Amino acid sequence: MADIAVGIDLGTSNSCVAVSQDGQARVIPNAYGESTIASVVHLDPEGCVSVGNDARAAAIRDPENTIVSAKRLIGRYFFSEEVAKARSICAYEIVEGDNHSIRVRIRDEVWSLPEVSAMLLRELAQTAASQLQSEVKRAVITVPAYFNDNQRQATVDAARIAGLEVLRVLNEPTAAALAYGFGRDLDQRLAIYDLGGGTFDVSVLDIRGEVFEVLATSGDTFLGGDDFDDRIIDLVADEFQAAEGINLRNDRAALEQLKFAAESAKNELSIQDETEIRLPGIIVGPDGEPRSIQRTLTADEFSSLVKDLVQRTFKVCDEALQRAGVVAQDLDGVILVGGPTRLPVIREAVRQYFQHEPKGDVDPDEVVALGAAIHAASLSEEEPAAFLLDVTPRTLQVGVAGGLAEPVIERNTPIPIEQTRVFTTLEDHQESVAVRVYQGESREAEENELLGEFEFSDFQTGPRSEVSIEVGFDIDADGILNVRAKDPRTGQEASSRMTLSSGLSEAEIQALLDRDVAARTRADTESPSNLSPPPLPVGSSAETDPDTPGELAEGESVDTIELAECEDVAGAEGFELGSGEEDLSSGVSSPDLEPGAQEVSLANDKEIVGVHEPSASDSREDEEDRS
Amino acid sequence: MDDAVAAEIRTLAPRVDDLDYYELLCLPRDAPGREVRGAYHAASRRFHPDAHRRQETDLREASSVISKRVCEAYSVLRDPLRRKVYDELLEQGGDTRIPLGNIEEQVSRRNRVSRGGITAQGQQFYGRAIADMQREDWAAAARNLQTALAFEPSNADFQNRLEDAQARLSAQETR
Repeated sequence: MADIAVGIDLGTSNSCVAVSQDGQARVIPNAYGESTIASVVHLDPEGCVSVGNDARAAAIRDPENTIVSAKRLIGRYFFSEEVAKARSICAYEIVEGDNHSIRVRIRDEVWSLPEVSAMLLRELAQTAASQLQSEVKRAVITVPAYFNDNQRQATVDAARIAGLEVLRVLNEPTAAALAYGFGRDLDQRLAIYDLGGGTFDVSVLDIRGEVFEVLATSGDTFLGGDDFDDRIIDLVADEFQAAEGINLRNDRAALEQLKFAAESAKNELSIQDETEIRLPGIIVGPDGEPRSIQRTLTADEFSSLVKDLVQRTFKVCDEALQRAGVVAQDLDGVILVGGPTRLPVIREAVRQYFQHEPKGDVDPDEVVALGAAIHAASLSEEEPAAFLLDVTPRTLQVGVAGGLAEPVIERNTPIPIEQTRVFTTLEDHQESVAVRVYQGESREAEENELLGEFEFSDFQTGPRSEVSIEVGFDIDADGILNVRAKDPRTGQEASSRMTLSSGLSEAEIQALLDRDVAARTRADTESPSNLSPPPLPVGSSAETDPDTPGELAEGESVDTIELAECEDVAGAEGFELGSGEEDLSSGVSSPDLEPGAQEVSLANDKEIVGVHEPSASDSREDEEDRS
Repeated sequence: MDDAVAAEIRTLAPRVDDLDYYELLCLPRDAPGREVRGAYHAASRRFHPDAHRRQETDLREASSVISKRVCEAYSVLRDPLRRKVYDELLEQGGDTRIPLGNIEEQVSRRNRVSRGGITAQGQQFYGRAIADMQREDWAAAARNLQTALAFEPSNADFQNRLEDAQARLSAQETR
């Protein structure tokens, strides 16, 4: 094959591309020799897009038009907690798109999150192509192990928009373990402590030769290096307010400078015992005089600022070890991944917790991309050189009567896997059920994360005890879920990829591909004047014609119509269970909205189904218990 | 790829429902727990979709069917509580497969516990025991697990942990 497959670590703060050739994996630096680029996208007044370290510089002078930390938003619903938080701190505008998805609006252009990530991916792929003098069309892309199905799917969409075939969506800790253990014929049990810019993951792996088995994984998608920066920001901003009576948080430009200074201070504390935060003329006071900040921050002071954040990571580690059925001294070592793990406060805490010196021969910024590159090369071979046996990070459940959720696949189940459970309708002659899919550990449906739902009505109606509906969950080796519902009597079935919150239908992705957004990204080597922006309609991605054929969009809109009809039949007082309604009502459009838009499939759900119907083996068990 | 493996995959995929989890992983029914992982690794090398991604569609799909069943088998056999339920199911001439959700329910019902304990006291002493184990204080862990078991005598999870702690304690003493 003429093109070369690469590995891409698409991070919250920084991203990195690597390649493995002739058994040697290496990071591919860009034209400036930088091995990682900032995960930042900037749109200038002429409509030119810049990506990476240039864009990061723009974040200070033009924060409203610079997208940072897009990874924190990708694949989430607009009404989620994380998005509310992002909206309060981000300088760029976050708006709601179709289906409760998220869009960002910059200089009157509206982009979906997969489009933003696609710009980063395209930049990395172009860097690789020019350095390798080869086409780059295929990639292994890493995601946090704790990413949910929607976040994975949105990442795949981003790659497709960037013109990349995704060989595998690989969990970041697993990639790191591969980079560490590949070709070394190890027999070891390791913990991977991965603290990134926005997420924390820990995985426990068994490495036996070329087989890398994840025993358990756990994580927190709300915890990362950004939170450490925030502590410095809060400290400085609070002190400044106390001294000067001015709240820096209310001034976008000042806040961006402070964010930048906080991140630099954190980075300096990774290599020295103290650092100086200097912000001359950060803001102009009411008297017209500029004010400045100058402050020393010591490592000890910083440690006490972030102590609780560090402790939170070990709660997650406790859980992973317990799930893996091991204790710290069963491990042969611990690998640190992610820029923040360079901080002495973290290294020391990890050493104490795991009772092991962290493996020294691992670069925490590059190891994930290197692992992805090794896997990309391995998957391009006739015989794979390594087997990665991963798990699903969180329990996948189906919502049932009474606001409860019934587990179908438990967390830490090895993948790929396919599981089916049988449910029944709640009412006699019920004509439609909504299959609502949750990810999380609670028996209460609402306490879990809603991945999506779809309506199923292709079943023979009848008295409730006689109707059975098989719900099948199928997780592929990428960790991506397909859900189907089937009437075992008729064989009729409906299926859905849980793509609701990616916010992009197949038709929309096609439209983006056709639009060739690549043309407007300013390459490092080109001068901006060479490019003029193509005439892009504002908000085009949100306005795709719903009639455009596309497998997903089509299936969903059919369900929607069925649902509107069945609502009259089934939408009676008998269905007061209503777990989903509260969940979604916050973001839901009004009921008299035109049908046909995807919103309706989420908005109109009368509570559906079902209770678990005991299978044959269950009843056998019951009899045995009684006897 | 080896033709023999391709032939095996094509033969095996359509009759995967006929094989019980032991047959699928090529494990004897009385295999000790520590052998389950190796059997899973060996089966994964042969059947994992990554090993067949460059093959014809039908072979890829067949390997995926087998691979998913291998993961299911491993999920049951690696866990002593689930394996016990499954062994009894086989002895009674039941199906070769059982949905993981169902088996977990049976494990809970049978042991009248959820893992980690159902009583406040059981949970409390179990939690202490886990902390003791982290500190490698096996004697304290064993004591706390015994106390936890006094509150939940049929909790097999507590029992397994206790046996583990006692084994480690005696290993420590011999050293």
